Amino acid sequence: MSRGPGLRGLSLRGVGYRYPSVAAPTVSGVELAVAPGEILLLTGPTGCGKSTLLRLAAGLLQRHGQGQVQGEVAVDGRDPAALAPSERVRALGLVGQEPGDQLVAGTVGDEIAFAMESAGWSAAAIEAALPALQARVGLDLALDRDPRTLSGGQTQRLVIAAALSAGAGTLVLDEPLAQLDPAGAEELLRALRTIADGGVAVLLVEHRLEACLPVVDRVAIMAEGRLVDTVFAAALRPGSEAVRTLRALGLVVPGRLDLADRLAPRQVEAVTFRPPGGEPPVLGETLWEGRGLGFTWRGAPGPALVGVDLRLRAGERVALLGGNGAGKSTLLGLLSGQLRSPGLRPPAGVVAVPQDPDLALFCPTVQEELAVGPREGGHADVAGQVDRAAAALSVAGLRDRPPQALSRGQRLRVAVAAALACAPRVLLLDEPTSGQDHDQVERMMSALVAALSGGALVFATHDVDLALRHATTVYVLDQGRIVAAGTPAGVMAALPLPPLARLCRDRGLPPATAAELAAWAEGA
Amino acid sequence: MDPRTRLALVLYAGIVALSLEHPGALLIFALVCTLPLVALRPSGTWWRRGLLTVLAVVWSTTLSQGLFYAQQPRVALLHLGPLVLWREGLSWGLAQSLRLVGLSLAGLSLAASTSPDRLYAALLRLRVPFGLALMATTALRILPELGRELVTVRRARAARGRPAWRRAPWRWLALEVSLLRPVVARSLRRAQALAESLDARGFDPLAPRAVRVPLRLRPLDHLLLVGGGLLTAALASARLAYVLYSSDTVYVAALRPLYGLVRGWL
Repeated sequence: MSRGPGLRGLSLRGVGYRYPSVAAPTVSGVELAVAPGEILLLTGPTGCGKSTLLRLAAGLLQRHGQGQVQGEVAVDGRDPAALAPSERVRALGLVGQEPGDQLVAGTVGDEIAFAMESAGWSAAAIEAALPALQARVGLDLALDRDPRTLSGGQTQRLVIAAALSAGAGTLVLDEPLAQLDPAGAEELLRALRTIADGGVAVLLVEHRLEACLPVVDRVAIMAEGRLVDTVFAAALRPGSEAVRTLRALGLVVPGRLDLADRLAPRQVEAVTFRPPGGEPPVLGETLWEGRGLGFTWRGAPGPALVGVDLRLRAGERVALLGGNGAGKSTLLGLLSGQLRSPGLRPPAGVVAVPQDPDLALFCPTVQEELAVGPREGGHADVAGQVDRAAAALSVAGLRDRPPQALSRGQRLRVAVAAALACAPRVLLLDEPTSGQDHDQVERMMSALVAALSGGALVFATHDVDLALRHATTVYVLDQGRIVAAGTPAGVMAALPLPPLARLCRDRGLPPATAAELAAWAEGA
Repeated sequence: MDPRTRLALVLYAGIVALSLEHPGALLIFALVCTLPLVALRPSGTWWRRGLLTVLAVVWSTTLSQGLFYAQQPRVALLHLGPLVLWREGLSWGLAQSLRLVGLSLAGLSLAASTSPDRLYAALLRLRVPFGLALMATTALRILPELGRELVTVRRARAARGRPAWRRAPWRWLALEVSLLRPVVARSLRRAQALAESLDARGFDPLAPRAVRVPLRLRPLDHLLLVGGGLLTAALASARLAYVLYSSDTVYVAALRPLYGLVRGWL
């Protein structure tokens, strides 16, 4: 196969794709190039075609898809779909959304080695390359360790090392930060920067713009299957066209940039904010109280949870914050009764939505899914319960659809709606932001706050902003212990904060969005 | 121990299981097959559940064979109205169930004590096609995850509904079947992600393939392979000689002590 001169990296020319069951193309006329040493961030609203474009870039849809492909994809001047497997693995690496589902081997060493084995490397050459590959992504793990015992961030970096191990010069990644806490995301992005600086072209699909901006070189914005703008990261400034585009598409503009853009031409530092005086939320009766909660997983070297005191009151919204492995999900497991501890009785009327909402969807239609709880609970007005839950979570239009066939964000909303339809006294959510864009999360949380006014909501999250803005009480966990607890404003001092929340803390303001701060600006 | 040795031992166990007929010998066989599991130190709950499963299999097989044994000669042990419990049927059922239990324990010991990647390397060395070897070991790796997911689904369902014992049996059955839906859907998504990952890492079921850690047989492996092979061959030969004798095909007078040993003990 011929190789074009000077065509290093990834290039897409007029690329489009139409799925067989859909009339309109999902991706259309995309022109994009990523040079060696560059990280290009591709962002856009949920369902805009980012993942489809990524699969085209990797040559997957050309070989396995049933739809119509348009345009040309080239990796180092060659069509990835036309390469033999042993050559393709030396040209391009692909990392998907769920790192745990991409593990193909039973040990860390075999996982990294798989692509090298495919490329025909000798056992000695593979063994010699493994330490450098681990170092490249910031890992230092025993080669015989089971990958399923790693944290989310470690698994993601392991999968990246495995994708690059045979010498791929181009790396494409689909939302690699989705399951990671802020520290894990930062580590991963640092590793990606190191990889790119080593001469790899990186195409990164991601929603978390604020986390990515410090390390990416360019940002491409996609909407309805087309590229609408491509800018250098440094050009995302207050007043720029790209910021307006992001906002118009309902995407999250990084908080500090969003505020600066809204206040332009005034400087943020020069503005005084006057928040409206408001009464703190009044909490009702105590629904449940637990003292000294603890739990140790079988075979674990230490406890996952130690000496946790927790009280739930009517109208309370409790956020559990902490990194991967801090003990948030274990605490939710104890509250839901899924994990048992001697002498502990879970709260009455508790309903939990598991971290993977797919495992809570077992009916053939959304309508039936929502009706299960109220029907089995003997509610007098089953239809009314279903209608209210469907409206609150914006799934009324999906009633006749099979829940398992919906998008990830829609599946999560159906699972939450099904739990809400049970009229729980205590609702537990584990990572409610996964797979949802900013607007959807905001709507969902507002709906839950309204619907659970007489009960309590407990949610575990990595999203500090979400916790600070929607919770009445925040518990910060670290290594199974509560290290800070109190009102959102009260725990801000104990948290590593995103820039906008830091500004609020430094100015003595309650946690707020950029839009709220702009409205509080004097003279606004 | 080399995974090829483990695979060979499971194969030996299969041949031995087919060579034995006496319930006592099969009981010893089943106990020997349990030894590797003891070394893995499963939890008390696991042992209790395992014992209940074994008892259920042995009881149901023995009783059904005892009641419906049709071959002659047979001796009636007990008359229960129109039903008769036959002595030979009980013995035959006990032997069958112990054979099944022993073989299952041997397979379980292999699966529990061998990491899928070592098993995968062994299958490749034994010239099992790459795609088939990967499929088999991936299934083995994912099975425990499926079990965990099923538990999560049951708990999520329980949080939204009445307890199972308050339902009619057919509704309970329908509910159990519906609980498989999310697990199947999740498995399909996992399979899609895994397939894309394999494809991206140069998976080619037909191409020759290197292995990172080559396998090596140690003296213990040689001892087990040769010793186990000789013992298995001896048992299988003894059974074959007895079958030929009992079917009036071949009779060797010098083998009369062997015929007695097989009839009485094996």
